[in-house]
Amino acid sequence: MLMTAMEFAQFPILSAILFSTLLALLVILFIPDDRPKLVKQVSLGFAALGLALSLYVYFAFDPQKGGLQFVERVLWVKSLGIYYFLAADGINVPMILLTAVVLFTGVLTMWELEKRVKEYFALTYLLVAGVYGVFMSMDLFFIFVWYDVSLFPMYPLIAIWGSTRKEYGAMKLTLYLLAGSALILPGILYLWAVAGGTTFDLFELQRLGFDVQVQRIAFVMLYLGFGILAGVWPFHTWSPVGHVAAPTAVSMIHAGVLMKLGAYGILRVGMTLCPEGLVYWSDLMALLATIGIVYGAFVGLAQTDLKYVIGYSSVSHMGIVGLGLATMTVDGINGAVFQMFSHGIMTALFFSAVGYIYDKTHTKMIPELGGLSKTMPKASAFFILAAFCGIGVPCMSSFWAELLVFISAVKTYPVRGILAVSGLVVSALFMLRVVQKTFYGDKNPKWEHIPDVPLFLASPRIILVGILIFFGLFPRLILDIIQSAVVPFVNSL
Amino acid sequence: MMWLAHDPVLTAAFACATLPFLSMAVILIFTRPYQRLSCAISVGAITVCLGSALYLLITLRHAPAPVEYQWAWIISSDMVIPFGFLLDRLSLLMLTIVAVISFLVQVYSIGYMHGDPGFSRYYAFQSLFAWAMMTMVIAPGMLQLYIFWELVGLASYLLIGYYYEKWSASQAGKKAFVMTRLGDIGFFLGIITVLLGFGDLGILHMNHAAQAGDIHPAVVTLGALLIFCGVVGKSAQFPLLTWLPDAMEGPTPVSALLHSATMVAAGVYLMSRIFPFFAASPDAMAVALVIGTITMLLASTMAFVTYDIKQVWAYSTVSQLGFMVMSLAAGGYFAGVFHLTTHAGFKALLFLCSGIFIHEYHTNDMREIGRGGGRKLTIPMICMTVGALALAGIFPFSGFFSKEAILGVLAAHPNKLFLAAGLLGALMTAYYSFRLIFFILFPRETAEPAHHHEEAHGGHGHGDDHGGGHHGHVFWAMAWPVMILATVTLVLGFFQNELQSYLLGLEPAAHGHEAAEHGGHGLGHYLLLVTAVSLAVGGVFFAYLEFGWKKATQEGFLRKFPAVENLFANRWYMDHFYRKALDLCVYCGFTNIFTRNDRRVIDGGIDGICRFTVGGGRAVSFLQSGMLQYNLVLMVAAVGVLVLVFAL
Repeated sequence: MLMTAMEFAQFPILSAILFSTLLALLVILFIPDDRPKLVKQVSLGFAALGLALSLYVYFAFDPQKGGLQFVERVLWVKSLGIYYFLAADGINVPMILLTAVVLFTGVLTMWELEKRVKEYFALTYLLVAGVYGVFMSMDLFFIFVWYDVSLFPMYPLIAIWGSTRKEYGAMKLTLYLLAGSALILPGILYLWAVAGGTTFDLFELQRLGFDVQVQRIAFVMLYLGFGILAGVWPFHTWSPVGHVAAPTAVSMIHAGVLMKLGAYGILRVGMTLCPEGLVYWSDLMALLATIGIVYGAFVGLAQTDLKYVIGYSSVSHMGIVGLGLATMTVDGINGAVFQMFSHGIMTALFFSAVGYIYDKTHTKMIPELGGLSKTMPKASAFFILAAFCGIGVPCMSSFWAELLVFISAVKTYPVRGILAVSGLVVSALFMLRVVQKTFYGDKNPKWEHIPDVPLFLASPRIILVGILIFFGLFPRLILDIIQSAVVPFVNSL
Repeated sequence: MMWLAHDPVLTAAFACATLPFLSMAVILIFTRPYQRLSCAISVGAITVCLGSALYLLITLRHAPAPVEYQWAWIISSDMVIPFGFLLDRLSLLMLTIVAVISFLVQVYSIGYMHGDPGFSRYYAFQSLFAWAMMTMVIAPGMLQLYIFWELVGLASYLLIGYYYEKWSASQAGKKAFVMTRLGDIGFFLGIITVLLGFGDLGILHMNHAAQAGDIHPAVVTLGALLIFCGVVGKSAQFPLLTWLPDAMEGPTPVSALLHSATMVAAGVYLMSRIFPFFAASPDAMAVALVIGTITMLLASTMAFVTYDIKQVWAYSTVSQLGFMVMSLAAGGYFAGVFHLTTHAGFKALLFLCSGIFIHEYHTNDMREIGRGGGRKLTIPMICMTVGALALAGIFPFSGFFSKEAILGVLAAHPNKLFLAAGLLGALMTAYYSFRLIFFILFPRETAEPAHHHEEAHGGHGHGDDHGGGHHGHVFWAMAWPVMILATVTLVLGFFQNELQSYLLGLEPAAHGHEAAEHGGHGLGHYLLLVTAVSLAVGGVFFAYLEFGWKKATQEGFLRKFPAVENLFANRWYMDHFYRKALDLCVYCGFTNIFTRNDRRVIDGGIDGICRFTVGGGRAVSFLQSGMLQYNLVLMVAAVGVLVLVFAL
């Protein structure tokens, strides 16, 4: 995997995706304040561009060949060994696609935004640029920088456009995630220094290898640091609070993509560089993940706010990702990455569906709602479909992910695996309970005047549902890609 | 798609496994506003499926070996989950049953659901149901079977809760889903057990290997027991049986489908699908036998006291399913499948007939239907009596033959208690089914005020707006399927031998058991036959004494034992128990503890740290007052302290 200092095999498509978001940010900043419509159109245009490019990456990626593709690698700071190094492999191709989809549908979901439109979309693009950067970079320095870029805009996005205790939520989220950063940075620098301080290149570091003791220390720092963002129990409480406070599309990006950043970081940085550390800590990882799965479902059962419900379901579902990673098997990691993708799409759908309901009824308290299916059958159907996906109904993509994770979990950690599988009953109970209380029952006269969602506003949800069912019916279209990276990865462990 | 054209068998199987799904998708996405079109699409799809199923059954009936098609659905490491079709005798028989019943129910629904605002949605879900069930039936591997098994559960959830504006309906749907999910966890773990212990989930491989003793006996027993959990959930066996009686909240045709050929039949089908695997574990078989027996007796008692017409049939379904499980668990492969077949016919018949009454009188109460003049509806009345006769096991109706077969199996079992239980069950079944028939046939005016049109229990919430149309196409759409089913019920029993040779031609594994089953063709066999028939007739006669003849009180002997009556009417307090357990364990237990923990301990801790930081900052902020004198004082103090430290 030795590469020359400069290597552009083809058109730098990954850079194009990354910089198109930054360009979008710039362009939006130059649009006058009184042209909100234009801001939205420009945002949508760039989101569509990003989506098209990511789709190209998805289709052009060759799972037979596997390995790193679309590599762009330039030495940036020689003395420290920092490389501008972007590449796509089976693990990040689905993540890039996920980001593009969530951004695109997120822009559509916020189409009716009226408050400080320009700033909102500018910050969104900054956030997304950070996310893309983390997913594409193969250089520790850049991973960390982009990671912090993606965290920073969350505070204003929640504090300005949010609702329900928004300052509290924003502050809590920011503090938690910065605490995570504070663990990641020393972890990365420690590894860099131990390796001689000559390179931040992930794969060169991997080749150099580390002492077992070093790996154990570094892994736990990286695991906890990234784990906070991935909603690992017991560091999860920022996530429901943050989701509730955030505006719809920010919740979508946040739960859909940002939380994946955490799991991705554990996989990409922690597990790649510290396999021995993983072996040492995997028991704890599996335990925390299992607790998260069961615990999240139970706590979700007691919630009365729709967004809290989704927040806790995220805790539960991200537990599945963690459990998959902890198994250290091909099936488990396949499932975990697949779950990262499916859960991203699913929560985006959840929040998008709630967003419309909240916009129209101005409440997301379950006891005040009820009977919504009668007045807005289409808008309700999207939430119900997302709930089915959350329950793990077959032929929707998260079913496959859960299947793979659970099979390997029962194999590797029988007791925890069985506990996690039993969590499925609770999650079914809690999802169906919410669906029943919110959408079923007699027509609620309070909401009778509300129109059902028109086609244009429904389009983001249609796209998301389509993706869930498409990959549910044809899982190989994404699993083969994932596997092309996971098999060599597990073999190298 | 050239390969489809070259292989008509594959094309037909493919049609069954895709068309209803496409129909659902098209209805939900495009044709929801056009009710007639939606209905036509759905019925059209199921008609093609029916044709395909019949074609497959006819072409492959003499096939020497099962026809199998497989494609890799997902590949992960060395695990391949295939999607495909396994066409053998059992799956083709079941496929045909499913297609026939689904077809009839969909035609019937044209009449029954006429004018319902959710007509299109109804047909979309029906298509989903048919798709899931048919693809499950022809699954070649356990995982595909599990996947579509779950989808069958989803479709039932949607259809049971079809009248979602009614709280009880959505409650029943949720209950059905969660309770069957509980069993499915076992099923899923069972699959993983087999996967880890054997490594192959192909149904035929599993069966052969278990028969040949290639799988470790412990794996077989554990796997079989866990998979049986799934059967317990889906086929409403004890202790997970309480969801099924509630499931009648759905529209009556849905109940017909649910109770005969789809949802609950899936469990028994699964058991017969991997029958050799089950049979390899005597322990699992013993457990299943006991569970089946308990279920059968328990559910029969519940049917004694209810006045809800659909509920009687619901309890009878539970009890007949228990009977089938008994048969399979006692080694009677053919008898179990045969009873599944006949039961599918007559149970659909009973529900569809009840549906006509309910549609006409807007009540589920058998007494009110009787008083309203239920017997004047000649066609459904006759057909329902036919169904009840079959259910009671009276010659020459189909139920008689299959029940005899099962009793024959039980007679061959060393423990005669099970035979006794079977006979007792036959007596009770005859009694409660004719209790219902006599209530409708011989109505009494009682002191109770008749409250018509109110307790339309079956969720017949929609309009009286099409009243009086029962001699138009609405009525006939409902009457034809009923008459066809009645005919089937009348003649199916006489094809017992054909069915047997068809089914067993390929099941040499099961042959040994069947031989035992028919070994006692002597005196014992006839004695058993006479006993069973006389018990059934006795049951009918007893019901006549209590509910039929002129001087009958129509109260039932249980009135004299109020405690027992209460016990039966409250379903042995199983629901109460579950409710309590759920409240105690889930809502007040874990949920409460975890939520408090989240708020108080985790969040409280974090907020505490934050408050400490903020508070600490406030506490020492007086030091930074900005006044020069203060700073000077502090400086001097600090220097003093340093001097002290270093000087001493």
